[in-house]
Amino acid sequence: MFSPPSSWLVGDDGKIVRGPFRSVAGQVELTMEPWESDALRAVPELLESVGRAGADPGADRLDQAPYPDDPQAAAEFRRLMADEIAQGRAADRSAFSLTVEQAPHGVTLSAGEAEAWLRVLAEARLVLAARLGIDEDGWEDDLPENDPPVALLHYLGWLQQSLTETLEDHFT
Amino acid sequence: MTTTPRHDELGEVQVDLDRPWNVVVWNDPVNLMPYVVYVFRKLFGFPKEKATRLMLQVHNDGRAIVATGPREKMEMDCFRLHRHGLWATMERS
Repeated sequence: MFSPPSSWLVGDDGKIVRGPFRSVAGQVELTMEPWESDALRAVPELLESVGRAGADPGADRLDQAPYPDDPQAAAEFRRLMADEIAQGRAADRSAFSLTVEQAPHGVTLSAGEAEAWLRVLAEARLVLAARLGIDEDGWEDDLPENDPPVALLHYLGWLQQSLTETLEDHFT
Repeated sequence: MTTTPRHDELGEVQVDLDRPWNVVVWNDPVNLMPYVVYVFRKLFGFPKEKATRLMLQVHNDGRAIVATGPREKMEMDCFRLHRHGLWATMERS
C-alpha cells in the first residue's frame, strides 16, 4: 500500500500540514484553487474512459475476480453484483460531478457526498496507476512527478489523505 | 458451525456446506494506508488499532483475512470492499 509522503503531513517549517478538507457541523468543506477545480472536472471523464476488461488495465483493476481459481463462481458473482457495482459507481460519479460544479473556490459536501468523493478518488487513482503500469510498492521513487498522469495521481492521493482524515473524525 | 467431518452419505458435501469462507484483502501499491484503515473501520466496525494492524498485515505479508463467515455474507463483504477499490477475494476457511 501507499504510505503518504511526509511532505503531505509536515511542512518545511516542521508544522503539521492541514489538508484542504474541513469537517464543519457534520458536513465537509473543501477549499481549492481554480486549477484544482479544473483538474477535478477531468476526473469523471477519466473514469468514463475506462474501457473493457482485457483491453484496458484500468478496467482490469476495477473489474475484480473474487474467485481467482474458480471461473464459474467468479462469473456467478459478477452476474449477481455487476449491475449493483456499476450503478453505485455511476451514482458516485454523478455526486462528484454535481458538487465539483459548485467550484471554482470550494465545495460543501454532505456526509454521503463525501463518501462518494472518497470512492471516486480511490477509483481514479487505481485507473491512473494501472495505466502507468504501477504494480509494486516503491513506484513513487521511479516515476517523474512532473509527468501529468503521475502528478494527478499524487494530487488525488493528497486530497484523499485529507478527506480520509476529515471523515475519520466522524468516528469519534 | 462445525468443521468436524461427518461420516454420513453426503459426508464431504455436508462438510463443504458448513465450512465458512474467508474474505482476503491483498496488497496493492496504490491505495493509501490511511484510506484502507478507514475502509476497514467503516465496513467492519473495527476499532482503529485492529484496522491498523490488519492494514499493516496486508502491506507486510501481502494479504490478510479480514472477515470469516457464511458464504453469502462474505460475498457481500467482498463486494463492499470492491466498491471501495480494495483488492479482495474469497477463500474457504
